[in-house]
Amino acid sequence: MLGLGMLALLAASLVLTYSVFSRYFLKASTDWQDEAAVFCLVGATFLCSAYVQSIRGHVGIEALSSMLPGVLNRLRLVAVDLMGTLFCGFFAWKSWALFHEAWVEGQTTSSSWAPPLWIPYGLMFAGMSLLTLQLAVQLAASLNRVAKGGQR
Amino acid sequence: QSPTQLKISHQFPSGSLTEGDFRDRLCRKFAADVAKATNGSLSASVYPGSSLMKTNAQFSSMRKGALDMTLVPLSYAGGEVSETNIGLMPALVPSYEQGAAWKTAEVGKLLSKVLDDKGVVIVSWVWQAGGVASRPRALLQPEDAKGLKVRGGSREMDMMLKQAGASVISLPSNEIYAAMQTGAMDAAMTSSTSFISFKLEEIAKHLTTGRSHTYWFMFEPLMMSKEVFAKLTKAQQDAVMGVGAQLEKFALDAAKADDRLAAEVYAKAGAKVYDMDEATLKKWQTIARETAWKDFGDKNESCAALLKAAQKLL
Amino acid sequence: MSMLAMGLLFGLVTLLFMFSGAPIAFALGSVAVLFMGIFMPASALDTITQNVYEEMASITLLSIPLFILKGAAIGKSRAGQDLYAAMHVWMGRIPGGLGIANVFACALFAAMAGSSPATCSAIGSAGIPEMRKRGYSPGFAAGIIAAGGTLGILLPPSITMILYAVAAEQSLGRLFLAGIFPGVLLVLLFAGYAAFRYKREFKMAEAAYLSSGTHSSLLERETFSTREKFEMLPRVVPFVLLLVGVMVALYGGFATPSETAGLGALLALALIAGIYGVWRPKDVKPILASTLKESTMLMMIIGMSLLFSYVMSYLHISQATAEWIVALQLSKWVLLAAVLVMVILLGFFLPPVSIILMTAPIILPPLKAAGFDLIWFGVLMTIVMETGLIHPPVGLNIFVIKNIAPDIPLSDIIWGVLPFVVLMLLSVVLICVFPGIATALPDAVMGVVGAKP
Ligand code: NA
Ligand code: NA
Repeated sequence: MLGLGMLALLAASLVLTYSVFSRYFLKASTDWQDEAAVFCLVGATFLCSAYVQSIRGHVGIEALSSMLPGVLNRLRLVAVDLMGTLFCGFFAWKSWALFHEAWVEGQTTSSSWAPPLWIPYGLMFAGMSLLTLQLAVQLAASLNRVAKGGQR
Repeated sequence: QSPTQLKISHQFPSGSLTEGDFRDRLCRKFAADVAKATNGSLSASVYPGSSLMKTNAQFSSMRKGALDMTLVPLSYAGGEVSETNIGLMPALVPSYEQGAAWKTAEVGKLLSKVLDDKGVVIVSWVWQAGGVASRPRALLQPEDAKGLKVRGGSREMDMMLKQAGASVISLPSNEIYAAMQTGAMDAAMTSSTSFISFKLEEIAKHLTTGRSHTYWFMFEPLMMSKEVFAKLTKAQQDAVMGVGAQLEKFALDAAKADDRLAAEVYAKAGAKVYDMDEATLKKWQTIARETAWKDFGDKNESCAALLKAAQKLL
Repeated sequence: MSMLAMGLLFGLVTLLFMFSGAPIAFALGSVAVLFMGIFMPASALDTITQNVYEEMASITLLSIPLFILKGAAIGKSRAGQDLYAAMHVWMGRIPGGLGIANVFACALFAAMAGSSPATCSAIGSAGIPEMRKRGYSPGFAAGIIAAGGTLGILLPPSITMILYAVAAEQSLGRLFLAGIFPGVLLVLLFAGYAAFRYKREFKMAEAAYLSSGTHSSLLERETFSTREKFEMLPRVVPFVLLLVGVMVALYGGFATPSETAGLGALLALALIAGIYGVWRPKDVKPILASTLKESTMLMMIIGMSLLFSYVMSYLHISQATAEWIVALQLSKWVLLAAVLVMVILLGFFLPPVSIILMTAPIILPPLKAAGFDLIWFGVLMTIVMETGLIHPPVGLNIFVIKNIAPDIPLSDIIWGVLPFVVLMLLSVVLICVFPGIATALPDAVMGVVGAKP
């Protein structure tokens, strides 16, 4: 997924650069480049978000909460991971509905290029599903730590 | 029964009942008049400037019943419901009178039916004219388009412009001013009201107005979610539709006033102002017929039927 | 439930979720979904995904990953260190020249990257060890880098300015231009202070040497030959070209702001490929990976905060608060001061991105009603948010410095950054008194538009 994200990032830069080039030198219309870049970057964001979660790269405000004593802090981490899992699971489910609707109705964007909307919606659904899985794995690990902490 | 409170969302600048952008004022008038007509059993609050939700999310939210009402260019929903692209079809509506005729004509009935199937009720039929502001030279005749970098603002306008030889450019609306200043964009199409609020008069040296003839007529109705509409009492429904119909006159006068005002503002700032004659309009119409109209009619049977019905009014 | 009770409940739950230590993106989203579920029609929950998508699918916002990529290309390659080294050689002779060189290097890097922590780490990783080796006190060295880093979001490009421009519906190009003179003002203030502080530390070291014979490396003179200076010059040229190239593309009418972001990223990658030979997949991958890490984190916060502000608006919390502020009938400048103080307080805990996203719907309408120029205010807000980046408890730049130099005690860092915070607040006052510092350049380049403060 990270690899795909990297390609999407490079593709977006290339497309936007090509846009400048083609309008200035070829006097061409540039009505699809922005949208193509948007699709690439939205895709990169969602597809990489599970990877970022796996290295705990989604920042939070830890300053006060991490001052809690050990057991409470472990419980806090469980609560935090549970909240993340529930929220992202819900979001993944709703993005499936969005993706499905766009697919069935054949929705497109309203630009002159008019690419199908199931592409970004599908990327959003895939990314959020992976993120939910990642969070569930980390939740299990947090629960495990609490259980082990209790035995000691 | 406890009073029902509706939410009206739109993307235009915020004002008051008597001052500001007429599309905002129309929503506020609607709220006030409906409350009066229903003795307060139905009231509405206005969320201007996309402060409730993103412009492009409004139509779909309304279909799902998550948004009560919106005033939005219908063609913004073009990707979701392809028939709505007819709301900004170049040269298909040549005057306010023809636009007003839609409501009771076959094309209006067809369009209402399409929207009804998608869960949307048209409350007030609002049309608005527009034109072109440009910097290096005027964009009046199709021949003028050659070599200009133009922001058409919609799929259909872009198609017509491309055929005429322009290179179209896509750009968020908050960048129009800067892009025209730097020269990244030469010309922009939009409504007269938006020309006033974008404050382009200082840098645009030429304005093709919408005050006589123009190919730029946009359908921008006040709409309501069918799901929400169905939950109202019969008396409330009548009040909504009644007030909506009454406001059409207000919208017509305000839109025409803005066409004149835009021309005055730009002329005062030193821009050259051009009015389009019928012959020029016909030239654009010929191009539009081959490009945007054809593209639209080829989409599906429903679009073809709509286009045919609309042409009957020409 | 009354408006006040609803507002308080919402604020309280938000605080609880935010301070739980949960990722900001998920915390904001969860609060929103929770309130939607309880207080809003069920159909609202069906629209959350489309709303988030519409928020994110803006090409203006999506230029953020591209600006980060451009910064990472310079910062993660040897380019950043070279930039710093060249500055060092050229400023060597001036008293406090090394400190000033660091400020200038930060400014140049800031003009290529869009974030403050990126600027800190790119220049600080070479700059802090070097300054300490030359006898600068640890707090002073840390202060220069922390403060210099804040230029990252004031000198264009700037991630927070992108968000602000979208929220305030202002032109990004204009806002970017407005940040340049205030950025230069801060550079001058920082450099002036660095020279002053250097002289003080130098005198103290001299006194210590005379009285007890303690030798400080601060007393050693460092000289570079003219030849050395000119050998360093070519290393800066590519950056100047990149900088000028992007500016010309944007303000010369060749590119739109979003295209400039893509062009800049690609040029930066081409630059490090050509000059430093960073082009093999194994060299480029770390740059792309760190870009994706940072931009994904930011974009998720931006997307999910849309839900948060949607709920605030639907439940009328933002409007009621904004109306309440307007109804207080504060004089223009009291209103401005109150808003800025609030931003400072939020800066104690929240990163600038979240501050803009959470407060814009509330503070912008009253400021607009009071007749302030929102471009000018955007610059003020940016500087004020920057102070939040360099003071505890949550100051991103401080974390970056702790990373580079773990042995500097936190108290030293805090005392070191404090004078810079004062200088930044001084610049806020200056920009209020002389609004032209921010508005003159955009007015000159893009014409006068709108109301002036
Ligand atoms: Na910057
Ligand atoms: Na802080």
